[in-house]
Amino acid sequence: MNKEGESFKRLIEEFSRVGRVLFTGGLNNSHSGNLSVRLGDRVVITRRGAMLGELSADDLVDVGLIEDDSGIALASTEVKVHRAVFAATSHLAIVHTHPRTATALSMGRDFLVPVDDEGRYYFKRIPVLAVRASIGSDDLERELPAMLKDYPIVMVRGHGAFAVGGNLEEGLQITHALEWSCDILLRCLALGMTEEDLMDDRTHGEW
Amino acid sequence: MTKDWNALNIDLSSGTVERETLSCEYVRRFIGGRGLGAALIAPYATEGVDPLDGSVPLVLAAGPLTAAGIPSGDRFSLSTISPLTGTVMDTNSGGRLGRSLRRAGSDLMIISGVSADPVVLVVEDDEVRLEGALDLWGCTVSETILRLTERWGKTAGMSVIGPAGENGVRYASIMTERMRAMGRGGAGAVMGSKNLKAMVVIGSGKVPVHDKERLKVVLEESNRWLRAHPVTSKALPALGTPMLVKICTRAGIFPLRNFQSVAVGEDQAYTGEELAKRFTVSSSGCTGCYIQCGRVTEAEGSRGEGPEYESLWALGPDLGIEDLAKIIPAAHRCNELGMDTISAGGTLACAMELAQRDVRPSTVRFGEAGSIMKVLEDIAYRRGEGDEMAEGSLIMARNAGAQEYAMQVKGMELPGYDPRGAQGQGLAYATSNRGGCHLRGGYLIAREILGIPKKVHGTQVLGKGGHVARAQDFGAVADSLSVCRFATFALAPEYWSRMLHAVTGWELGGEDLIRTGERIITLERILNLEMGVGPDSDRLPPRFTNEPLTEGACTGEVVHLDDLLAEYYAHREWPGGIPSENKIKELGLDE
Ligand code: SF4
Repeated sequence: MNKEGESFKRLIEEFSRVGRVLFTGGLNNSHSGNLSVRLGDRVVITRRGAMLGELSADDLVDVGLIEDDSGIALASTEVKVHRAVFAATSHLAIVHTHPRTATALSMGRDFLVPVDDEGRYYFKRIPVLAVRASIGSDDLERELPAMLKDYPIVMVRGHGAFAVGGNLEEGLQITHALEWSCDILLRCLALGMTEEDLMDDRTHGEW
Repeated sequence: MTKDWNALNIDLSSGTVERETLSCEYVRRFIGGRGLGAALIAPYATEGVDPLDGSVPLVLAAGPLTAAGIPSGDRFSLSTISPLTGTVMDTNSGGRLGRSLRRAGSDLMIISGVSADPVVLVVEDDEVRLEGALDLWGCTVSETILRLTERWGKTAGMSVIGPAGENGVRYASIMTERMRAMGRGGAGAVMGSKNLKAMVVIGSGKVPVHDKERLKVVLEESNRWLRAHPVTSKALPALGTPMLVKICTRAGIFPLRNFQSVAVGEDQAYTGEELAKRFTVSSSGCTGCYIQCGRVTEAEGSRGEGPEYESLWALGPDLGIEDLAKIIPAAHRCNELGMDTISAGGTLACAMELAQRDVRPSTVRFGEAGSIMKVLEDIAYRRGEGDEMAEGSLIMARNAGAQEYAMQVKGMELPGYDPRGAQGQGLAYATSNRGGCHLRGGYLIAREILGIPKKVHGTQVLGKGGHVARAQDFGAVADSLSVCRFATFALAPEYWSRMLHAVTGWELGGEDLIRTGERIITLERILNLEMGVGPDSDRLPPRFTNEPLTEGACTGEVVHLDDLLAEYYAHREWPGGIPSENKIKELGLDE
């Protein structure tokens, strides 16, 4: 990838802007999470161990969509999951985060169903994928792409969220919306409302 | 529900009608509308084919959602081979024709051959017949509609051609009822070459819905989005597509004088706001649509529909004309004559630049509105200079040895967005299967200028290959479902997938639909290749790649077409612009 020129500058701007908002918004800790975009038959992904809050041009690596090349040695641990999602869907960007509330709620549920209006606008429900090994695993590579065909964001139990979209900002938006909705749900439960109360008119859960 | 599709095979040469059934499985591979049209046109896509000699049919296909009460969903498609570009083409329109056809128990019509005399094709539920139309031949669009309405009433679906279609203008349109246009590509000329003046369809039945309760839930959700989105709930109903004048001007991509420069500043006299304030009589639109983006306007004694953004630009600032009172009657006249406003304006703009450069003399000059109405008439009736203009800007400029001044791709005149400030739009023009079109290119303006679904930087190059491909695929889905593009601004593929499931029982998820869109785009590409329209024609006029913009927000920009194309071809798995064997197989197009 030619790292000179205006166009690459815009790309790194997009990566760093989204990475910064994810970190400052508490959706990732200092060195967790990863971002990628598809460019034709290449995938540009954050470097393994990169700090999403402080990305620079050196933190982006590109690898073939299908074929391995030297970029693979530097890429995020989740690179094969990202590639599998791009190969199986028409999405152009992936945002992987470790949102705390959503992760906590994912422990005991198969679906996360927002109760707040904005969350309901974005998602009818968010599936929770339970796999034995969840980091950079073959299980994820196998299971996740099919789920991201039907849902814009999927929670991996005990691990975090994978969001897809046309660009990184879309992934960022739905990741934040998911965590926000989970936080509201948690607060409702903490205030003593029951799941039944909250589920009352949620035909959309079946939508 | 696995409903098979009912087709009417109408041979105008013999006057015979045969009924045919297309299996549900076959239809589902292409969804309906545009996709099905491309599949049925496939056998005619051969090198050297002349779409005006009667050998190519017109395929009029409804979508699987047509007449099912879907918002902005009562459209229908017409597919054929374009006399303007020599590519496969489709065009679609709102109005009652598609809905009436399905209510009459048919889902599509394949109209072939040439009638000896002018005819009207009448479908009245089960009955299909041809009626003489000698008395209608030569009538303008509104005269024809008026006479047909007197006979068939206001609820009949009607599509007609005007003099431009009768006279083989290569960008003649087909008009549906109150001036909804099937514009780009010249389907009106194909209809005229068949001596088919009009189609009238009356259907009194109902279209079955697989799961009414589910449909109700999905529609409730969908309507919430349509009513919440500022473009579909506010901007389009209030200002129609001319809302884009100010937005595109600010973005530095509103072209002037055959794309020689772009508008700057805020005080244009031809904005959507001015149109609404001074000339709009009422809003209007397609049947069954909540948005109602059309408008009825009046100026200098001319009352009619439009102009849309594209028409306003093509017959106004692109010709150096800024007075809406002059632009509006010209747009109305194009509708009356049955002629695509973008191609008519683009051809006039090209003639004006050729005259400005002393390459070719012309009766028209930038900024002089006086001669426009007469020249439009001359084009439709192929008189004088209008005869050459009726061939389109490419042929006209090529005849003058100055092809570079025709702002076209594959022979189709470009719409009003300068691609130098919208690189994805540039790639979209270059790769659109029916030629230089905003809609079939994928309408990247939605992403690059309007930020739908999210803003991508207009002058960014990296990443645009994928954006264009995905937008084209989703566009092909919308055209095949036969729903309006504007509704897709607010509703993502998943919504259409759920509507489709509720109406038909077909289980196609959002991504399955996108994949079907890819199948349709790739099929169209293959048909174009078979007709000799290959990667060499994925080019833009040299102005966009060689001459930087000198004004406005995108000063200094050119289109980086080679880089854009490389990424696009890689994304699509079309090495060198030709779909790979692997891709063809993956999409099931090898059968
Ligand atoms: S939004 Fe406009 S073009 Fe689309 S269906 Fe409605 S009235 Fe017709």
